[in-house]
Amino acid sequence: MAEPMLRLVGIHKRFGELEVLRGIDLEVQRGEVVCVLGPSGSGKSTLLRCVNLLEPPEKGEVFVEGKDICRGPASPAGEAGWKLDFVRQRVGIVFQQFNLFPHKTALENVTMAPEKVLGRPTAEARSKATQLLERVGLGDKLGEYPERLSGGQQQRVAIARALAMDPHVMLFDEVTSALDPELVKEVLDVMRELAEEGMTMIVVTHELGFAREVGDRVVFMDDGAIVEQGNPADVLDSPREERTRKFLGLVLDR
Amino acid sequence: MNEILEQYFDVSQMSKHFGEVLDGFAITLELALVATVLALIWGLLLALLRQLPGRGLLPVRFLAIGYIDVFRGVPLLILILLISGSLAFLPLPEALTIPQWFGKPDNFWYGIMALVLVYGAYYAEVYRAGIEAVPSGQMEAARSLGMSHGQAMRNVIVPQAVRKVIAPMLNEFTALLKDTTLVSVIALNEVALVGRDIQSKTFNSSALTLGAILFLIIVLPLARLVDKLIARERARTSRGGAPPVMHH
Repeated sequence: MAEPMLRLVGIHKRFGELEVLRGIDLEVQRGEVVCVLGPSGSGKSTLLRCVNLLEPPEKGEVFVEGKDICRGPASPAGEAGWKLDFVRQRVGIVFQQFNLFPHKTALENVTMAPEKVLGRPTAEARSKATQLLERVGLGDKLGEYPERLSGGQQQRVAIARALAMDPHVMLFDEVTSALDPELVKEVLDVMRELAEEGMTMIVVTHELGFAREVGDRVVFMDDGAIVEQGNPADVLDSPREERTRKFLGLVLDR
Repeated sequence: MNEILEQYFDVSQMSKHFGEVLDGFAITLELALVATVLALIWGLLLALLRQLPGRGLLPVRFLAIGYIDVFRGVPLLILILLISGSLAFLPLPEALTIPQWFGKPDNFWYGIMALVLVYGAYYAEVYRAGIEAVPSGQMEAARSLGMSHGQAMRNVIVPQAVRKVIAPMLNEFTALLKDTTLVSVIALNEVALVGRDIQSKTFNSSALTLGAILFLIIVLPLARLVDKLIARERARTSRGGAPPVMHH
C-alpha cells in the first residue's frame, strides 16, 4: 500500500496540568478528506496544530509523506525538530479567525510567503496569487484591505494564501465558526471544490452536512482521544459510541 | 503685580533677545530630533532582542531586559555627567571619546549619547507594548506559511506594531524634547542655557519664559494630535475588532 500522506502515531500533548491529547493515532491517505468532529475542548484544534508543529507534540510521531517531522535535534529557536520548513511548506492551515495580515491587501496577503519564503519573483507570485484569488471568487478584490472584506471573503483570501505555498495537505480549523450563517456556504463551496480536485484535507468542523457530503471519513474526538471513526454516513447516522450519539444529538438539536 | 509680569513676560526683553533664544531652541530641536531618530532605532533593536524565541537565546533576552530596566532607572542628568566627564579620559580613539561628528561639538554628542541610552530603553518598552498588542494569530499565520521568526517579525508583526505605537511615541518625543534642557549642564548652548545666561545678566527671566513658550508651540499641537490618533485607533478597534490599517 502507498505511503499515507500523513500518519500520526501516539500523539500526546498537555498544557500544564491539562492533558489535551492522549494518544492519537491517525492516518490520512493522499487525496482523502477527513472531517474531525467533537465537542469544544476535545483537542481537535490542538491536533491540527500538532500536525504543522505550531504546537509540537510532547510524545508521539508525525509522518508527512513518510518523513518523521518530530525527530531531529532541537533547533536554536527551541522548536521541535529541523523539519519545520519541510512541514510548513507542505502543510497549509486555515484558521477560525482568518488571521489575514491587516496591513496588506488581499493580493499582498497571498504573495507574501511565496516571495519571502520561496523567493519567487514578484511578477510570478502576483500572477499566481491573482489566479488563486480568482479561483476563490475574489478576482475583483485584489487591492482591498482585509478590514473592507466580509468574513467569508476574508476566509477565502486565507484559503488562497495557504494554497499559494503549493501545500500537499490542507488543515482547516473550524474555518466557518466565526462567520455569519449566510457567509458559511461560500467558504464551504471553495473547500468542496478543493476536495474534488484531490486535495488531501483534514477539516475540523461543526458542519455535519459538509462532513457527510464531502468527507471520505469522519473522526469523532472527545476528551483528547478518538472515540470512533468511519465513513460519514455510518458515524453520523448510526454511531456505535454513546458519546458520539450524545454529541450528534446536541448538534442536531440546535 | 506689574513687577511680576515684568519679571517673566517683559516683551521688550523678549524681542531684544529673541534671536539668541531662537538659536538656542534650534540646538534644542537638533538634539531632540537626532536623539529621537537614533533612540527609535536602538529601542526597536532592544525590543526585538527581547522578543527572540527559544531557550537558547535566553541570555540575550536577559541582557536586553537588564539593559532596559537599568537605563529606565538611571537619572538622565547623572548619565550626562558620567559620559561628559569621563569619556575623554578613556583609552579609546579620540574620534569616539571627543566626538566632533558633522561639525557638532563634543558636548552635543555627549548629550545625544545619554539621551539615546535612556530613551532607547523607554522606546523599547513602547515597541514591546505594540508588539504584544498584535494578536498572536498573526505570528501563527506567518509561521505556518513557512516564515522564520525574523521574517514574521519584519513583514508581519513590526509593521503592525509600529502603527499601534505612533501615539505613545509622540508622547515620548515630548518628554525627550523637554529633557534635552538637561544637556545645558555641560555647557551646550541650547535654549535653557541661553535663557539662563540672559537671566543672570539682566536679572530678568523673560528670555527663559520665551524659551518655555517655544516648547509649548511644539508640544501643544502634538498633544492634540496624539488625542486624535488615539481616538481614531479606538474607533477602528471597536469596529469589529479589526486591527488598525493605514491606507496609503
